[in-house]
Parts: sequence; C-alpha cells; structure tokens
Amino acid sequence: MQADLTWLDDPQTFRINQLPAHSDHRGYATVAEAQAKQSSLVQSLDGNWDFQFAADPQHRPVGFYQPDYDRSNFDQLTVPGHIELAGYGQIQYINTAYPWEGKHYRRPAYSMGADQPARGMFSKGPENTVGAYVKRFTLQPALQNQRVSIEFDGVEQAMYLWLNGHFIGYAEDSFSRSEFDLTRYLQPGENLLAVEVFKHSTAAFLEDQDMFRFSGIFRSVRLVAKPALHLEDLTIRPTVDVGLTTGTLNLQLQLSAAQQLAGTAVITLQDAAGQPLWTTERAVADMLTATTTISHVHLWQHHDSYLYHLQICLHNAAGDLVEVIPYPVGFRRLEIKDKVIMLNGQRLILNGVNRHEWDAHRGRAVTMADMHHDLEIFADNHVNAVRTCHYPDQPVWYDLCDQHGIYMMAENNLETHGTWQKMGAVEPSYNVPGDLPQWQLAVLDRAKSNYEMFKNHPAILFWSLGNESYAGEDIVAMDAYYHHVDPTRLTHYEGVFQNRAYADRISDVESRMYNPPREIEKYLQDSPAKPFLDCEYMHDMGNSLGGMASYTDLIDRYPMYQGGFIWDFIDQALWVKDEVTGQPVLRYGGDFDDRHSDYEFSGDGLLFADRTPKPALQEVRYEYGQHD
Amino acid sequence: MSMANTTKLNVTYGDVTLGVSGDHFRYIFAYDRGGLESLVRYGKEWLYRTPMLAFWRATTDNDRGNGFSQQSAMWLGADCFTHCTQVTVAVDGQSIPLPIAPENNRYSDHETADTVAVTFTYTTPTVPATTVTVSYLVDVTGKLSVAVHYRGAAGLPELPALGLRFVLPTAASGFDYQGLSGETYPDRMAGGKSGTYHVTGLPVTPYLVPQECGMHMANDWVTVTRAHTLNNADPDHQPFGITLQKHDAPFAFSCLPYTPLELENATHQEELPAPRRTVLTIYGAVRGVGGIDSWGADVEPQYHIAGDQDHDFQFEIAGLA
Repeated sequence: MQADLTWLDDPQTFRINQLPAHSDHRGYATVAEAQAKQSSLVQSLDGNWDFQFAADPQHRPVGFYQPDYDRSNFDQLTVPGHIELAGYGQIQYINTAYPWEGKHYRRPAYSMGADQPARGMFSKGPENTVGAYVKRFTLQPALQNQRVSIEFDGVEQAMYLWLNGHFIGYAEDSFSRSEFDLTRYLQPGENLLAVEVFKHSTAAFLEDQDMFRFSGIFRSVRLVAKPALHLEDLTIRPTVDVGLTTGTLNLQLQLSAAQQLAGTAVITLQDAAGQPLWTTERAVADMLTATTTISHVHLWQHHDSYLYHLQICLHNAAGDLVEVIPYPVGFRRLEIKDKVIMLNGQRLILNGVNRHEWDAHRGRAVTMADMHHDLEIFADNHVNAVRTCHYPDQPVWYDLCDQHGIYMMAENNLETHGTWQKMGAVEPSYNVPGDLPQWQLAVLDRAKSNYEMFKNHPAILFWSLGNESYAGEDIVAMDAYYHHVDPTRLTHYEGVFQNRAYADRISDVESRMYNPPREIEKYLQDSPAKPFLDCEYMHDMGNSLGGMASYTDLIDRYPMYQGGFIWDFIDQALWVKDEVTGQPVLRYGGDFDDRHSDYEFSGDGLLFADRTPKPALQEVRYEYGQHD
Repeated sequence: MSMANTTKLNVTYGDVTLGVSGDHFRYIFAYDRGGLESLVRYGKEWLYRTPMLAFWRATTDNDRGNGFSQQSAMWLGADCFTHCTQVTVAVDGQSIPLPIAPENNRYSDHETADTVAVTFTYTTPTVPATTVTVSYLVDVTGKLSVAVHYRGAAGLPELPALGLRFVLPTAASGFDYQGLSGETYPDRMAGGKSGTYHVTGLPVTPYLVPQECGMHMANDWVTVTRAHTLNNADPDHQPFGITLQKHDAPFAFSCLPYTPLELENATHQEELPAPRRTVLTIYGAVRGVGGIDSWGADVEPQYHIAGDQDHDFQFEIAGLA
C-alpha cells in the first residue's frame, strides 16, 4: 500500500494499518524489571530527529522517506515537541472559530450534502504546514529478532509513517496513542524511520479545542518488542458487592505469540503490602479469563487510594519466563442510586478542575515534574477530581491519578465548537459530527481508543464523549458504545444541553457549563431526571473566582448537585524573550501576529502559566475544603 | 509624646494653604490644589500629589466580558477629572470663614488650636454630576481622621470602586497589615485567613493582562514602609513608616506601584512602567470580581456598588502619640 495524500480530506479515513487500541499495560522481560518499571523491551526514540518544514503540502519534500533521498539540508528537531515552538510555523491561539477563520472558507466534508466531499481541502490546502521527520535507530539487543511495534503517544494532527522506505501506516487523533507493527520491514543494523506530519486534516474539524494550535510529534515515541508470548490486551474488571465488603475481580487477557501459543500464564494478586492473595495458572490461549473474589476488600477512593497489585507472568512451553505485566487494581463501587451518583456507598462530591496539559516553555509537551507539581497543588487545595479537557492526556497521568486518588473524567479528543456555535449563538447548520454517517466512524474510533487504552484505571469514573460538539446521532453512538463496553462507569456529555432532543440518549448525568447557581437550582427543583454536575464552572480568567460560595451552598442543599470542575487549572501562555528588553515574558494569543485570535482568553487558570498560584487559589482551598 | 495632651497644634493661615503642625509632623492643606498637599512626619514627605477620589478599577477580564466597564465608563473620567469645588475649615469644632486673604490678615504667626478640620467637596464630571466630600480632622497627636461621603444620584451607573487614593513620592519597600491573607474581594474572601502579614515590595499580581489587583479586604490597619524620599537634602535611607487604621469598621486597601490608569493601559505586565511611586488606596466600597463566566455573567448583586445611593467611610492616619 502506498500513502495517499487525499486521506487528509476524507473523514472516513483516519487509521491505516494501525494496531487496534488496547490497554496501556507495559510488558517487562523480568520481574525485577517490572518492579523497577524499567523495561528492556522498550526503546525510546525521543531526542533529536532530522527535520524539514514545509509551509504547505505542495512544498513538502516528496519522497523524503526513501533511504537514498538527499536529506543533507534537514535541520534537527527535538521530539517530543511542537513544531511551532521550535520556530517553524506561526503560533496561534484561537478559541471557537477554526484556525483558518478569515483566510479560507471551509465546510466540513459532507456537511453541506452527501455529494459534497470537499476533496482537496487539506491535501491541497494552503497553510497546511508539513513536518518531515526522520529518525535512524538500531534495535537494542532485547528488541532484536522480536516482533516490534512503534508507539506514538501524540502526533498532531495527521501522520504518515515509513520504515526503510516502506509505507507503514497513517493515523489521526492527535491525543490518542497510535501504534504500528514494524516487524516486517525491520532490518539488521540501522533502520530509517520517517514520519510526515500534517497540521490539518479532517481531524481539524474534530479538534477545535480552545487552545494554542500546534502540530508535530509532541509526545513520546518508542519501539516496543513483543516477546515470544505477549499480552496484547488486558481487561481488569473489579467490582464490589452492595454490602461493600466483597470484591470480585474479573480478568480477560488477550495473548499473541511469535510462533505458537503454548506455555502458561501465571496470574497473581497481592495486596498493597505485597501479601499474596491469589494465584492462578492457565495454559496460554488467544483469550484467557480468570476470576477471584476478595473478602473484606479494601476500597479505593480519594483519601485512601488503595491499590492491589496484579501481576501476570507468561512462560513459554519450556517454562522460561518471557513477559511480566504488572498492573495496579483498585476496587470501588460507582452507581447512581435515587438519582445520586454514589461512590463506595457515599454521595460523590466533585471538587474538580479542568486541566489542559500545559507548560509555558513546552506547550502541551508536559513533563513528569509538571504532573507531580499539579498533583501537589491538588492535594494542597482539596481538589479531588480532574477532567482531561478536552482530549486524553499523557498515559502516565492516569497512573498518577490512580495512585493519588484523583477522580477522573476521561474525555475523548473531540471538540467541534466552530461548526455549531458562532459568535456565541447556537447555529448548527454545518455541525459535525451531527448525524453524518461519514463522520461517525471517526468519532467512534476516538471513543474506542480512549476506552481501550485507559479502561483499567480505577481513577476513571466518567467517560466523557467530548466537549462542545452539539448533539446528534453520532454522539448517541459514542454514548451507546461506552455503555456497551463498560457497565461500570458513567457517561458524560454537556453538549446535549444545547440539543435537548437527545437528552434521553446521551449522558448519564446532567452536565452544564457556566450555569449561574440560580439556573442550577431551577433544574434541581423541577423534577430533575439526572444527577447534576458542572463540567465547567468558575471561569478563572484573570482576577476572577468571585462568588464560589454560591456553588458550595448548592452541595449542602441539593443531594443531586454533585459539584463540578473549575475552568481551569493553568493559564495557557508562553515564555518568549521580550523583543524590547530581552527579558523572558509570558505571551498569549495575538502576540505572535496570529489572527484571528482570542487573545488573553487562554488565561483562565487557578495557576499562572509558570505554575505559581493565582491569589484565587486560597478561595478554592477554602470552598473545596468544605466538602473534602 | 507624653506632652501631647498639653500641646496644641500650630496653625499657619496662609494665602494658598492651611498649615497644621505639631511635634514631628506638618500637614499642608492646599486650597488651590483642592486637597491635602503635604503630609510630613519626622521630616519625611508622604504625598506626591493631593489624595484624590478613586472611582475606577483597571478593567478585569470579567469586567470586559460583561460590559461593566462600558456601562460605568463615566467613572473612568471621574477618576481622572473630578475636581475640588469647595473647601471649608473648622477650628476647635467651629466653622470659620475660609481663611484666605484678606480674611487671614487677622491671624498671627503663633496661632494654635486643639483640632483643625478641613473639608474638600469634589464634584464629579459625570452625568448627572454628584459630589463627594472628604474631611480631614487633625488632632494634637497628628492623627488624621478621614471621612468620605459620597452622595448618590439617580441615573449614575454602578461604581467600579469608591476610595481615597494616596500617591506616595517613592516606591515602598513593603507593607504590613492586619487583615486577611492574600488578594481578596468581597465575593472572594472566605479563604482569606485573618492575621498580620508582611508584603515585601509592591507586588503586582501578574495576570496576563494587567488589571485590578492587590485588594485586601477587612483590615484593622496597614503600615507602609519606605526608605527613600525625593528630598535632595535627605541622604538618610533608614526605613520609615506610616500607619493607617480603622476608625470604627475595618477597611479595604490596595498598595501598588501603579494607578488604575497605568494598569488599564497595559496589555502585558512588561509594558507597565518602572515602579516609581506607591499608590495606596483606602476603599470604602469594593465591587466583587465575579466568576460565573467571563463573557457576560454579572457579579452577584450583593457585591455591586450602587451609584444612586449614598456611601460613607472613615479611617484614620495614626497619630504620633
């Protein structure tokens, strides 16, 4: 198969040769590796890559992925990172309108009729910048002679992949992991990996988040070896009985073998102190299931994020250990009882924040230090919940939330704000995904990637279908998908508030944003159908966050009011050198000559962009401290 | 200052000003400038210009979003261009004819009093206009009791702020206060912890777009400390302070290096001028900041400042007793 540029234009083409999404477990060669969280089966490709930038597809270096292509004029670029922050391509911040506003007239493919596919919109689009990335690598010993895949944790917005001149695959969905099998084209010695990244594709219509608009390989890239036996997917389904005493653990393992599925899988469960509670052994097969019960189960929750340790060891037919997979397990019972969300038998109260991934030096390529800092801020200010607005975060963030007892609203990478809301008015005449069949598979794929990747995290209480994308049959299908695959969590979607015709078919909760307390009261006093939460409230732009007490009061007065997520956690602004003084200064939308822009509207955080607290944070600490 | 009870104020009935002095202090009320022109203690001048009424706050993002600054824009003009239209003087509790020439020819170079009160009436350039009186009562300790009365007028928009603004000649090295921790507003002060706090320098909260900031609600007192004056003959750089204190109710203040107009004009922190002076504003009324959203939601009604109602506040500049 050859790469085809017109995939950029087709909303029905969003993954070519990608491996199916699966759980985010990691395989290790030995138990010691697993305990140290250092897998010899993984080879990072982060670091310097060769790079060439093109202003549009017409000027891109066609064929750059060929081994004999002359790349002597390529620059160097650090992965992970945004192309724009490396000085290629203009930085732009814009909220609801699409980034080409005022420059290009565009309607999403098929939105104006089934006969209007909008061919060439992006493949021939001006200002659709292109990054040509090249990385040379030699497999480390542990990866040699194994099946090897490559994981891209985040590439914005569309990527084509080649290895040693052979086309491997294509991916969209900037914020979900894209994985490809490289085995067939790997060669001994040096290999040549090439990635062509396009700033825009039809995915652009689905990724209209209120944020700086970047492109590039902005999260880590790694090679992963699959040993002779490999756990492809793991579903951990811990449940707790009504009496909150007995936990049941259901496991489903999907295995693959390099040659023959033979050997044993040894599954063990330990408590947090390392005491073994359960061991079972199974002959390997494509699909394995196992079940056990834990009496007097120790529940997982915010102030007691108790995690059991699951370990799966795969042994080959000769009895040699070939792969070890550890995974933490948290037991908690989430349900809606008398229209109130209950966690472990207690009414759930969300002291939440919306958190964009942001670092004022690095954009959305946040670091572990950033994440640890954020969790400290959570702990100091009684924040118990986070919404991953409006895309899946770096995978490690979900591990950290499990460990720290942070309740997650795990949101899909979906926002189509600009297709239905214009200058504040609801105007869905060309909304996507809407009811359009040509867009449904793309959004369902995003839902699937989110679920499959993160399904084993006890921290996740809500699957959020996306943000501000209006409502239609395609969103209904996403909601149905989550309910089909996961009866243990709730679905969340605010956009149905804008289109009440779908109220019965979308979202387990009544979610609104920026509703004044008196409007929320009206809902709560008028035979409410669903428990209520604010997916966004207390817009902390600049000097703000006044009147939060009125929301806290609702918690005391209405059991179905379950709190919410403050907008938002950290200002989005960028450190640049002041052109006058040479001093480092924080800049925002419009400061890069970027037009159309929404200027300082990205500065809504409880933290300033440099992660120092805004004065308002002490108010959050007080108000959230009332129900912690 | 055990002599305070037996010492009288020295009063200088000048042609342009009224001078009032005592042990280690001298105040000059200027008829032509329409306010308290000089406040000297231990030889240090505390005023750069006469204190003026504060009606404006640098537009917050929420103010911009909900149109408040548009609706109340005439208070920006009032903040800049309110002028003094009347001055009255009372000595030992008795009103006297305004003691300018030739009226003051009947005084001498050794006039004394127990108290002197000067009241300035300011007229706003709003439509409709209204008046605000600022009264300063000086006692023998040098204590200044300040009372501000705003006369509400039907048709006036809500006020962004109501206070009295003191611009000090040099930037303060810091300030101490007894009140609430952090930056607080009427609708965002539950999280402020009561205590005594020291703030080094004159920090401006670094909001992306400079805006109203640095408010401190519910204070018993604030002491501002400086180490420099503009006096060419004053080489001393030892810190010196002044304390403002509540009269009968706690007050709000901000202590910043900038006026609201300077903040209003900047789109980034780095555009703010070099800090040269201290802008100490005592507020009798503070509007909430709001927060429901930043594109239209109003501040909750109980945190508005009505323009059509009277407002009064008092505070004291502590004496030297």
